[in-house]
Amino acid sequence: MNEIELREWLETWAWTLLPYLLMLGKSIFAGAGFSMNLAVLLTWTDRRYGSMLQDRIGPDRAVVYMPKMVARGGAFVPALLTGGAVVAYAKFGVDNISAAQAFFMSQLAIFMAWFTLMIITDAVHNRGVRNPFDQFLAAVRNPRDMVYGGFAAHVFALLVLVGAGTGPGHVREFLFFGGTGVLFVSIIGGAGYAAAQMVEDQIGLRLLGLLHPAADGLKSIFKEDFVPEDADKLLHGLAPFIAFFPTLVVLAIVPFGDTLCFEARENGAVDIFKLLPIVPRDGVCTDAAIQLQVVDLNIGVLYFFALAGTGIVGAALAGWASNNKYSLMGGLRAAGQMVSYEVTLGLTLVGAIMIYGTVQVDDMVRWQVENTWGVFVQPLAFVLFFAAAVAESKRIPFDIPEGESELVAGYFLEYSGMKFSMFFLGEYIAVVTSSALMVAIFFGGWHIPFLYRDGITMSFGDSMIFHYGMSHGLVVLIGFLAFIVKSIGLCMLQLTIRWTLPRFRYDQLMKLGWRMLLPLSLANILATGVVVLALDSAGTSVNSALTLLCDFTELFLVGGAAVIFVLVVRFLLQPAEHRRVVASTSAKYAEAAGGTLTAKMGA
Amino acid sequence: MEPLDASLDESEIEMPAEPMLLNVGPAHPCMHGTVRCVMELSGETIEKVDVQVGYLHRGFEKMCERGTWSQVFPYVDRANYVSPMLNNVGFALACEKLLGIEVPARCAYYRVALGELARIADILTCDGAMAMELGAFTPFLWMIKGREMIWDLFEEETGARMTHSFGRIGGMAHAPTEGFKETATATVDQVCSIVEEVERLLLGNRIFLDRLQDVGRVSKEDAISLGWTGPCLRASGVPYDVRKAHPYSRYEEFEFEIPVGTNGDCYDRFMVRLEELRQSASIVRQALEKMPDDGPVNVNDPRVVLPPKEEVYNTIEGTIRHFKIIMEGLKLPAGEVYGYTEAGNGELGFYLVSDGSGTPYRVRIRPPCFLVTAGLERVITGEMISDVVPCFGSLNMIGGECDR
Repeated sequence: MNEIELREWLETWAWTLLPYLLMLGKSIFAGAGFSMNLAVLLTWTDRRYGSMLQDRIGPDRAVVYMPKMVARGGAFVPALLTGGAVVAYAKFGVDNISAAQAFFMSQLAIFMAWFTLMIITDAVHNRGVRNPFDQFLAAVRNPRDMVYGGFAAHVFALLVLVGAGTGPGHVREFLFFGGTGVLFVSIIGGAGYAAAQMVEDQIGLRLLGLLHPAADGLKSIFKEDFVPEDADKLLHGLAPFIAFFPTLVVLAIVPFGDTLCFEARENGAVDIFKLLPIVPRDGVCTDAAIQLQVVDLNIGVLYFFALAGTGIVGAALAGWASNNKYSLMGGLRAAGQMVSYEVTLGLTLVGAIMIYGTVQVDDMVRWQVENTWGVFVQPLAFVLFFAAAVAESKRIPFDIPEGESELVAGYFLEYSGMKFSMFFLGEYIAVVTSSALMVAIFFGGWHIPFLYRDGITMSFGDSMIFHYGMSHGLVVLIGFLAFIVKSIGLCMLQLTIRWTLPRFRYDQLMKLGWRMLLPLSLANILATGVVVLALDSAGTSVNSALTLLCDFTELFLVGGAAVIFVLVVRFLLQPAEHRRVVASTSAKYAEAAGGTLTAKMGA
Repeated sequence: MEPLDASLDESEIEMPAEPMLLNVGPAHPCMHGTVRCVMELSGETIEKVDVQVGYLHRGFEKMCERGTWSQVFPYVDRANYVSPMLNNVGFALACEKLLGIEVPARCAYYRVALGELARIADILTCDGAMAMELGAFTPFLWMIKGREMIWDLFEEETGARMTHSFGRIGGMAHAPTEGFKETATATVDQVCSIVEEVERLLLGNRIFLDRLQDVGRVSKEDAISLGWTGPCLRASGVPYDVRKAHPYSRYEEFEFEIPVGTNGDCYDRFMVRLEELRQSASIVRQALEKMPDDGPVNVNDPRVVLPPKEEVYNTIEGTIRHFKIIMEGLKLPAGEVYGYTEAGNGELGFYLVSDGSGTPYRVRIRPPCFLVTAGLERVITGEMISDVVPCFGSLNMIGGECDR
């Protein structure tokens, strides 16, 4: 082989391999970046949520100071651009105003209007009147009145639109252009008002305390990386990676959304600029598709079990390598706990796998789209899986490997800096990934009731009640958002548990794992098997009745979501309760000096 | 030929095992920074434990012998820093016993009200910290919020949140402030509603109950022989409370119950404290009702109480009286006395010896915590290492009081 041949050979190989390498790099970047960001966000949410429950101030100290003009520009310029875009869209982008356009524009405008006014009124109430406009707003007794007014306006605009029906377009035009005007004024006015209020020379940017986890992350990178004198240097350094990596890559098998179908080019490649406008309800496009999933493995959830098992090694190694008795006990506890709960974790899913007939997460979601959510067919399995997943993430009430008051910090006692942060973030990522996996397996993944690949279809059994076609892109987008919202809901559930429950003792934990969860999961498998066999041999009438029942669960879900929405709105609209009764002398002085907001004398 | 049984020892396979020595504390989260436990562990079980106290020893008793009797108050403040008002009152009562004087009714009720508020703060801290160390962080912060309300009230009354030094021999440093009754009633109501919320969160929780019930049991006989007093003794089933057994400061006029446990485990200690909080709240309400709105707070005895400032600045008699009490100290008659009251953790005794000069000859404090901590070894031996947390928490060891 001479030099030229070698070069050609190399080039051919390089060009063949390069796309794969790029693809791999992209996937790793997407998965790792996504879940690490989620972990940071969840850290923030956790702190905020905890502080809210416990009636104290959350993490809010990290601040970036900006010169006045930069801050003003940062508030006003994007608003100006957005406002300009809205006006340009209304002027040039629309020929014939449809009902949907009028609806969206008017509702968005009303929402922006009341929301802006509410925030400004709240600010006026807190810091006092500064200008005539403030005086006007201060007459509003309570900023919550803005919300009620806003809701009334929403309903009114909707009624006007519905009342006009499909008749002459004047009403639609009025709503659309009026909405554009209101939207423009509220965006520009709100941003302008905010910019005008920035009178100090330096404006602090806090972003609701979001900078705090960022600052924590930066800090941990620059902190001293302390390794105990007699520690096993190699294993001590390796352990955080082994603990961190599996939690990070588990997310790879979870689909965030439905498969995107594109038109194919002549050579069979995907033309990513041409999304199919409409796809049929059944069937998955095979030729030019992009799955919203990092990798579609045929071993599916087995991959999750395999990797979740690897995490133990990290914790156990960290405990062993630190040369500290507390760490060692923490490592032992971690190993014992995770091995025990791994068994339950695997066995609870067997029932689900029997029903879905697949181990691939993607296909599991498709089964749930066609039938019903997994939580209805495997309720016990969900509860058991949830408990085991919380135990796997080593958070309260299963945080005995860390056991702050007993083992100081358990297996990562001797870690500092970014190595510690890797254990810490690993736990948060485990919360996110386990939530995402539970959503995919038990809560229908990206599915929301009555929404299918071709649009909204409301049917019970064979009788179709309602059908509304929607474009493919929109359906996938809504599904993606639904997946995110469901995952956040499960994360919040885990956070609530973390802030309310005490922790188990080691023997109680083992008892729970081996004597409660394991027999229950075995019983679940048995019961599922019996039911599956019985249904296989049952007649068509039973099966059609089951299909009908599945359709009714969707109705049930919609009703439940509506109830929850109403309850949440009612909760948010309740006047906040100030519990502080006694203001001490120093607090009174501080209040007189304009210092504190909450020291109200209520005795 | 060797005898047959010589090989028997070799045939038994024994894993070489030795207990692990674990040094817990003094700088350990569950030891509150002031106790060191050297534990011999077999797995997670504690086989043997050696409890070592004294890491917060500051020589208070010796320091008391340097100043006047009134200058002892700051020291007793710092003994039990969680409920300093009770220590103040206890020391003042012991001195008054030696002097043979009794404070006016207004002062007695004021002392009862403040003392019971301090007891509520003590219980909130102890039970809250116990929940927090078991991992339930939210109830702890709720209870600390309640304690904060009480401390706000104390700040308003005494000028200090924690170490008030508010007691005086023969009275209190100041009369109650104008709004004291209203604020105290509101505070007690708020605290009770917080405690109800905490109970809803904790007492229905299986994990919490499992961690406490049947953990760290102490029998009635053991508790008595260890010299325990206070909530720990009552949780073991002995209804001994100094306020009922030997009433002082007009406690005989109040209606209240003594909660008593049956098992003497951590759960009983937790619950006895919670119930005592309710009883204390009721005592505070009764005391506020009984307390007259005006009238003298201090005894009318020129040997004991400082003259009012107008007299000090305007009359020679006042100046001299002030000078004598400040420079020489008020003179307790020569003799010995043991004054004892019910403090946050049990019977807090002051054994005072006076030689008739203005300086204490000996101030011996009988701290309830010291004796309670002495029982820690018996409580946690044989339990698991995780049980140290609720056991130690429920004994409510206060370093300042135990080590002095």
